[in-house]
Amino acid sequence: MRDMAENFELLRNVTIGQYIPTGSVIHRLDPRAKLIALTLIIVAFTITLSPWITLALVGLVFGIARLARIPFAYLARGLLPILPFLFIIFVLQIIFRGLGDVQGRVIFEWWFLRITENSWPLATVGILRVIAFLSLASLLTLTTTTTHLTHGIESLLSPLRLIGFPAHEIALVFAIAFRFVPTLIEELDRVARAQASRLGNIGATTRWRLDKTLRARLPLIVPLFLSALRRGEELILAMEARCYVSGAGRTRFWHFTPTTLDYAVVIGAFALVAVVWWLGSRVG
Amino acid sequence: MQLSTRTIVTAGVLIAVALVLAITGLGYFPVPNVTDSATIMHVPSIVGGVLEGPVVGLIIGIVFAIDAYIRFGGLFAGAPAYLPFVILLAPRLFIGIVAALVYRALKSKNEIVALIVAAAAGTLTNTVLVLGLAVLFWNQIPFFASVPGLTPAVFVSGAIPQAVFEIILAIVVTVAVVAAWRRLETRRGSSV
Repeated sequence: MRDMAENFELLRNVTIGQYIPTGSVIHRLDPRAKLIALTLIIVAFTITLSPWITLALVGLVFGIARLARIPFAYLARGLLPILPFLFIIFVLQIIFRGLGDVQGRVIFEWWFLRITENSWPLATVGILRVIAFLSLASLLTLTTTTTHLTHGIESLLSPLRLIGFPAHEIALVFAIAFRFVPTLIEELDRVARAQASRLGNIGATTRWRLDKTLRARLPLIVPLFLSALRRGEELILAMEARCYVSGAGRTRFWHFTPTTLDYAVVIGAFALVAVVWWLGSRVG
Repeated sequence: MQLSTRTIVTAGVLIAVALVLAITGLGYFPVPNVTDSATIMHVPSIVGGVLEGPVVGLIIGIVFAIDAYIRFGGLFAGAPAYLPFVILLAPRLFIGIVAALVYRALKSKNEIVALIVAAAAGTLTNTVLVLGLAVLFWNQIPFFASVPGLTPAVFVSGAIPQAVFEIILAIVVTVAVVAAWRRLETRRGSSV
């Protein structure tokens, strides 16, 4: 029964794909400015190996969440499902990077555990990056409606139309995906409760018995796929009934005009990359 | 290039399935290996490729690619910045393409066999490309050099049990989903 309860809890910890209208300044930004800034913040994370700079960037991400009036606890909940995985990766890195670093100064040594001046920063940076990337992805959907996000992606990809890239269609694919995530989570929750009420052991996971785990999870996974495909068929019918034609020139209900703040955010994000680059070359 | 309404919607809903599998952890099965998990994150890509063709398979592969980057990108700290993209992202784009082509080539003979071979081929595409590229760029990844006694041969042989688990999982889930969706006759009688 504990497994089942954990399963239901897990389904509630999904923050990606949700939207919380707090009316903050982050919510009001042009979606294109948000997408460009998000990409540049990710670039800033990937060009530094310093744990201190990475920690400062994580602080910046949570600062943005505060500015967006998204509760920290809510954002942190989205990280829960991946935490055990992150912990394993972190422990592996701490152990092996320490053992392999024969030249670095040893900070802590006990039995096979050896933490050196070079091992802990790399392990820490790796984990902090994952936490930041997931939080940024959640923040984007928490502060931007699916419609705005779609128009933002389409607008940014539109130059690629010159080489025949289907910018509108790809943006629509991701809009449909983001729109369906909460629906499918609800569906999964319903199926899990239905299975549990019939004494199906849906949460059973046995590390040494793949067949048992598979038998426990198939009653969730197969209905998830079938429900998605069935809803997809309904959407195809609805779109075709409204004469949707891919690639046809169409007008928009929403028009975005960048404000001074949007430009400032993009310039600030470029400046951030430059500063991280400059600091990285000094701190190492 | 134009995408049909069916391609757009099927890719969209299967990406949503892939996101749900990633977010809830349902796509990762606990098994006794070094990463503690075998994945079925590539199955939406295989199902998309089988049902709607290689373009849908490729688009869905992007989600698995990003998920792999988020989970394992940390191991590449200290390596050239382009390497995680080459090793973790690029191979995932080919899963659905290979599965679609294999399925198309075999479906006229026996649809269930075609599904089994397509699922296995899609999974092997991922495993072989990721391992092959990791071995190719071995010297540029500091983490590999830091593990005592870890050679490319040890690395590849250690990944074989995981590959076997993932092939079994992909075959079971792909056949179950596609057979149920297309109401194919399986040995257990009509599905759904």
